Amino acid sequence: MVQSLVSGVLTGSLYAMIGVGLTVVFGVMRIINLAHGELVMLGMYGAFWGLTLWKLDPFVSILLWTPLMFLVGMLVYRFLLQAIIPGGELNTLLYTAGLSLLIANLALFVWTGDYRTIKLPYAMLPMRPFGIAVPIPLAIAFGLAILITGALYFFLTRTDLGRAIRATSQNPEAAALMGVAVDRISMITFGLGSALAGAAGVLLAPSLYLYPTVGEILISKCFVIVVLGGLGSVSGAIAGGVLLGLVESLGAVYVSVAYKDTIGFVIFLLVLLFRPSGLLGVAKS
Amino acid sequence: MRRAVAAGTIGVVLAIPFLTTNQFLVHLGITVLMWTVLGTAWNLLGGYAGQVSFGHATFFGVGAYTMMILYLKLGLAPWYGMVLGGIVGALVSLPIGLICFRLRGPYFSLATLAVAEIVRLVALNWEALTSGPVGLLITTLPQVSVGSRSVNWESKVPFYYLVAILAVGAMLATYGFSRSRLGAYLLAIREDEDTAESIGIDTVRAKVTTLAFSAFLAGVAGGFYGMYFRYVDPDAVFPIALSVEMVFIAVVGGLATVAGPIIGAIFLVTVSELFRERFLVGHLIFYGLCMMLAIRYLPEGIWGGIRRAFTTYVAAKRS
Repeated sequence: MVQSLVSGVLTGSLYAMIGVGLTVVFGVMRIINLAHGELVMLGMYGAFWGLTLWKLDPFVSILLWTPLMFLVGMLVYRFLLQAIIPGGELNTLLYTAGLSLLIANLALFVWTGDYRTIKLPYAMLPMRPFGIAVPIPLAIAFGLAILITGALYFFLTRTDLGRAIRATSQNPEAAALMGVAVDRISMITFGLGSALAGAAGVLLAPSLYLYPTVGEILISKCFVIVVLGGLGSVSGAIAGGVLLGLVESLGAVYVSVAYKDTIGFVIFLLVLLFRPSGLLGVAKS
Repeated sequence: MRRAVAAGTIGVVLAIPFLTTNQFLVHLGITVLMWTVLGTAWNLLGGYAGQVSFGHATFFGVGAYTMMILYLKLGLAPWYGMVLGGIVGALVSLPIGLICFRLRGPYFSLATLAVAEIVRLVALNWEALTSGPVGLLITTLPQVSVGSRSVNWESKVPFYYLVAILAVGAMLATYGFSRSRLGAYLLAIREDEDTAESIGIDTVRAKVTTLAFSAFLAGVAGGFYGMYFRYVDPDAVFPIALSVEMVFIAVVGGLATVAGPIIGAIFLVTVSELFRERFLVGHLIFYGLCMMLAIRYLPEGIWGGIRRAFTTYVAAKRS
């Protein structure tokens, strides 16, 4: 019981990080970014190649990949997405579906569909505080995820740029009238979302199998999370991520391993139908 | 003029097996026509009604499994199984529609995605019925005669004609559909759902009916898939990628047009199959690329673009 709670929270923190990236992008641009999972996948491969080619520990190379993904995200927004946004939500949804398929298949083409793993020398060391088995890479990833998500939260609530992002999220027209450069904010936000996805990918890499279409599974989990928390809400996404992690690990023990992923989707549908603003939706407004 | 083009297209489609004995080309033709049926099925709901489903693989997979299970467990001939696959697909779509149509726009899309994943996981784990990840395999198809000649199932040609009939039927049905009262309702719903409702259109009923029809076509295509490949497993018939491919074929070809899906299928399937022959993996690169280009530069799709160019040309000539 405690064991599944712990592993649920650990994985949940990483889910939360991916979800936060998706939700800030949705909040500011009303884009449901179907390619978000592929950005996570790129982060995972970044960690893999960093280790294989340059012997860089993933928890070091995250310092390289996060800013790089930030840049990639900004470029993607500027050159690919910006022109599509006026076309409406369904157009951007289809467009990012195309982008997602493009990235995943390019990765498949370049890196083949082989399953890869990252083996860290310290991954096998036992760490059993209070008799609970905690995989070390996952524990480090958990710590970093909290640090990064906390830093983001601080950034969004305490800095001018963060306030501008939240203002745009609440009402783009009003924000523009108050002198916020909405286009610039959108670009930065998309970069931020991509950086979060990439960083989460690097952190996840030692604990998951890597293959080019892994994004497909991650993105569907991600939707569950952000819908649980209410699309556009950062604290909702964090809560949703941890909740999904818990549901999966407890579901695997008490319901069935085979159907653990199904539980998440069923909850997702129920929330979409009965609480479309998310579980925390009312508390927020 | 339109009729002549349509008749000409049907003529060319039916003549292809006479023009070539190249098995790869016939196989390519079969694949293109199967995707035409799927694109057409999706287009009814996604194009005419503007409801973007990311879960149509569900109906395809249900159709394929229905046909396989009925044949393996009850000995029902695959061609009946194929039609029943469509019917079961339509039945499955009813509860799905009633649930998902409570949501609009992108939320509807996400809900269909979730439903499709649930169905895939069930198919993967309900081993008593589906054999799980192992999949179902049929070795021989039963004998059947057309006229006095028995059909040679080892050749690809009978499959070609079968799927050609399905594709032409689906396109004719779309044509009839687009000119029906229901078709008009759907356009109203696509343009403005609230207004449609306020002038007395039962929007949920119109959408659920359309989804059932669309699911029927996808289910029949699934039955055909099972019959042609003689093997189904959850990863082959239920993946998200399959749902997405249907969407892309319809959008790239031309949303809400009769000919769009076949144009999209000819273009995308041919390019990606040639790519697959050469490089084995990554053949969906073009799907992604074409989708992005289409949305950016040609939102009415290839066929829509051709049609617009033609009208401009005619108008220019007249003036």
